[in-house]
Amino acid sequence: MQFKNKTIQKFWRFSTSFQMGIPIIASLMILIIWGTIVESQYDAKTAGKLVYQSWMMYTVMGLLIYNLTIVMVDRLPWKPNHYPFILVHIGIIALIYGGWVTQHYGLDGTLSVPIQKSNGMVMVQQTDFTIYATFNGEKYSKIYDQEVDFFKQNISENKPVQFNLDYGADPGSTSPPQDLKIVKYVPYARATQKIVKSQDPVAGSSVKFQLSNSNVQQIETLTQQNKNKTTETTLGLLTIYLGYNQKKLGRKNPHVNEVYLNAIDQQNLDYSLFNKNETAPYKKGQAKIGSVVPTVWMGLEIRIMDYVQLAKQDWQVVELGRPTAATTEAIQIVFNGKPEWLLLNDTVKVFTDKVAYIMAYHNRQIPLDFKLYLDQFEVSNYQGTRKAKEYASRVTVKSKDSDQAVTTQPISMNEPMKYAGYTFYQASFEKDEKTGLPVASIFSVNRDPGRWIKYLGSIIFSLGIIWLFYQRRKRRTAV
Amino acid sequence: MKSVLNFVFLFLVFMTTLNSTVHGATGDRLKYLPVQDGGRVKPFDSFARETLELLYGRSSFKRPTGNQSEPAYLIVMSFLLSPESWVEVPLFEVNNLEIKKYLGLNAEEKHFKGNDLFKGEKFANLIQQLNDRREAKEKLNPYFQAVQRLENQFYTFRELTAGRYIKVMPVEGSDSWLGVSALPSAQQSLFVALSQNLARYLGEMGQSGAKSEATLKAGKELDSSVDQFISSVQTVTSNKISAEVFYNDAHLFRWVYIFYLLAALILLYIWIRNSSLNMNIVWVITWIGFLLHMTGFAFRVYLAERPPVTNMYETVVWVSWGAVLFSMILEKIYKYKSILLAGLLVGVFSMVVADMAPAILDPSIQPLEAVLRSNYWLIIHVMTITISYAAFFLAFGLGDLGLVYYVIDAQKYREQIKNISTAVYRAMQIGVAFLAPGIILGGVWADYSWGRFWGWDPKETWALIVLLGYIIVLHARLVNWLQNFGMLVAGVITFNLVIMAWYGVNFVLGAGLHSYGFGAGGIEYVLIFTLAHVLFLAYAAVVRKTQEKTI
Repeated sequence: MQFKNKTIQKFWRFSTSFQMGIPIIASLMILIIWGTIVESQYDAKTAGKLVYQSWMMYTVMGLLIYNLTIVMVDRLPWKPNHYPFILVHIGIIALIYGGWVTQHYGLDGTLSVPIQKSNGMVMVQQTDFTIYATFNGEKYSKIYDQEVDFFKQNISENKPVQFNLDYGADPGSTSPPQDLKIVKYVPYARATQKIVKSQDPVAGSSVKFQLSNSNVQQIETLTQQNKNKTTETTLGLLTIYLGYNQKKLGRKNPHVNEVYLNAIDQQNLDYSLFNKNETAPYKKGQAKIGSVVPTVWMGLEIRIMDYVQLAKQDWQVVELGRPTAATTEAIQIVFNGKPEWLLLNDTVKVFTDKVAYIMAYHNRQIPLDFKLYLDQFEVSNYQGTRKAKEYASRVTVKSKDSDQAVTTQPISMNEPMKYAGYTFYQASFEKDEKTGLPVASIFSVNRDPGRWIKYLGSIIFSLGIIWLFYQRRKRRTAV
Repeated sequence: MKSVLNFVFLFLVFMTTLNSTVHGATGDRLKYLPVQDGGRVKPFDSFARETLELLYGRSSFKRPTGNQSEPAYLIVMSFLLSPESWVEVPLFEVNNLEIKKYLGLNAEEKHFKGNDLFKGEKFANLIQQLNDRREAKEKLNPYFQAVQRLENQFYTFRELTAGRYIKVMPVEGSDSWLGVSALPSAQQSLFVALSQNLARYLGEMGQSGAKSEATLKAGKELDSSVDQFISSVQTVTSNKISAEVFYNDAHLFRWVYIFYLLAALILLYIWIRNSSLNMNIVWVITWIGFLLHMTGFAFRVYLAERPPVTNMYETVVWVSWGAVLFSMILEKIYKYKSILLAGLLVGVFSMVVADMAPAILDPSIQPLEAVLRSNYWLIIHVMTITISYAAFFLAFGLGDLGLVYYVIDAQKYREQIKNISTAVYRAMQIGVAFLAPGIILGGVWADYSWGRFWGWDPKETWALIVLLGYIIVLHARLVNWLQNFGMLVAGVITFNLVIMAWYGVNFVLGAGLHSYGFGAGGIEYVLIFTLAHVLFLAYAAVVRKTQEKTI
């Protein structure tokens, strides 16, 4: 192509030359090499945010498409010996475009379905920050819900994300707004739990105790979610309850040996011990930290190691430089001057005199128009080993509200299920920590409007490459 | 036509001799005992080789006093006879210097006694450190990988000598076989008889030599007690078991590189001397090697029931096959001789590497990850990508060869250099023509089974990097930015991308979804290989400059 204007002509020549093409390919190369190094040092998510979905990547891709296009335009009118190279270039453009369509209009998430249960919420990578508020502790209303990307946001004490919560404030009220700040983001946090005292008047209690005789020694902690929720654990031949009003409600399960623990005040607990099939406790009394309660069951003793009447579980977060399989994301929020840690896909509860707020930092859940019920899940192992050979699910698609079954289909490795524009792939499964048996099947869920573009691009590109290979090099130079 | 018949005949003769030398020695029935291990049923021979590989680092054992290698199946079974004496023998291989230092071992030595390694607090401390790492779910660095191997050696030896590790008897209604120690009494007593016969056989061998009459007699008794035991536990001795023992013993891939090397040497002689010797000889020998290569593959496919491209070892063998294949095709077309030579040398090199480093390139047949159990896609996607590496490998070999000419005399060999650089270009084209569709097929597979076409996974990303690298080279050639010398250098340099994509992602980066192919070790050798080539390139460039000046 020729242009009259010299500058344009010069620019056009440059755009169509290898002086532009080769540096573009080379920078793409360097960029993605860097991406793989970031991934090996950190993880796929970090590499995605820093490299593959960065402005640099978009710039290089844009330049590449520009170059690929302009080189084709420059060759107009095309002769037959141009066809393979045109095909290759169009194929690449289609592949990149298809990828872009997928990223922007597609859905790519995971769906975890417990055995014999159903789920219709797909979890995707995007993260949201949500706040709920309540007056009475029962009915919560959502007062804030925003997509957040703390990774890129660069939060610090000096540059916090700030909220003014004024839920329930009377109009014209002079009471100060409640001040909420997000002051820190930790991408690779190792979090451990500890029990601390809570200000919440409806908070539950927590008891740490040791159960021991000459053979056994076991330490357990029971923590109530709130004052009215019972929590329990079964250890061999007895079950221990915390926060169950046995005097009023009777025994929970008369056919087993039971221990009931109930908070009295800041120091003291009330306990009663029941043999199975007996209506009256054979022992009752009060205990505090350090007390030992002997039982009649194989000489077991219960030693109270720690007790907090109003307790809550608090996170201790250690910031690591790099992710491991045990790290997660965490943000630190400060509510009215008090700091709290909030982990990804977890919640934290804060209080004022009048209002309670629940904050959640979580992956977005996208509802499907239907739900999947997991009828059956099977893992087969390689003979004599615990190495999985194949795993397969059998699912029933049910309508969202009426539970009516629409269709039942198998999903297994390399055999996905297609339904209503979505594809469900067998991705992995969850095991019970103690028994090692599978408890839930994990599917990746995908809706990809760019798929056909990518496939078309693939075909065009591959044809072009093979054609190019057969085409003899006629001239030494092509320019 | 005659030469074709010739080589077919020669090939058959070779296979029959190999078969008869390998088969039917007295005292070796034990090799055929079916055991369950690693998710499949295998002959005791394979089991013993793999176990000895783990403990000792080799598949045969050499006593510190003697100089004869003893086969794995006798050594491993004799652990059961006298565990106490085996902890007093330098059996356990430890390579990591830090560990040696920590345990107070002689850094010069390679093998150590179990008693020196596993007794005492220091070993327990190491294991504790390792467990702490595991609990924190951190990636294991080379030091901890070495500790892990030590732990593995300890447990394997302990389980072996306790009779729990060798699983010999199928149980109805369970997919787990019974170990030697858990056998029912009838089988138990047959196994005791087997052990006694083994002890006698080993004793005779030690006293009166392997060929003596007494040894042969003891060997026969051992064989018959093995047969009795096999029939008592009712395992099916399938053809597969015998095929696998043959595969182990014949060591086909070693013959492959011997033949390739032979062909390369004769070719070199013909080429350098401009000898009138017939090229047919070279072709026949190459073909024998090539067919043996395929036979070896056929065995692996038959034994593992899957295409042989699922770990590093298998891809090295596959790629060297592809390099030889491409060089044969291009040689048939161009008749430069240099192409076949480069292909043969690449073939020899990679087959030797595959044979020499079993700790890094594991030749044992392992069960496949669940995601990979789709043979159809595996064949198409992995095989196309790796075969493109073969073409690039060939381009690399050709590049090296051409640079040698530059170093010798660029003027005198101008014709050869031009030919070689054309061949480099062709080989790269073949590579790109396979790699580009291969990457796309990988996307199709990923899309079909995981629902994503492209996910910037390091393995696929590096395949793309390789493609981009070679595309730059091909385009630069097209516009004459690269001439003969540049093309040769590009053939060598760009191959480093392939090394990274092929070896580096799994062994250096160690990240991503392709983790089923991950391994460890050998980084120092690969670095030396790469650095040596960089130096060679620099040298060739300097020589070229001086030659230009003198002209």
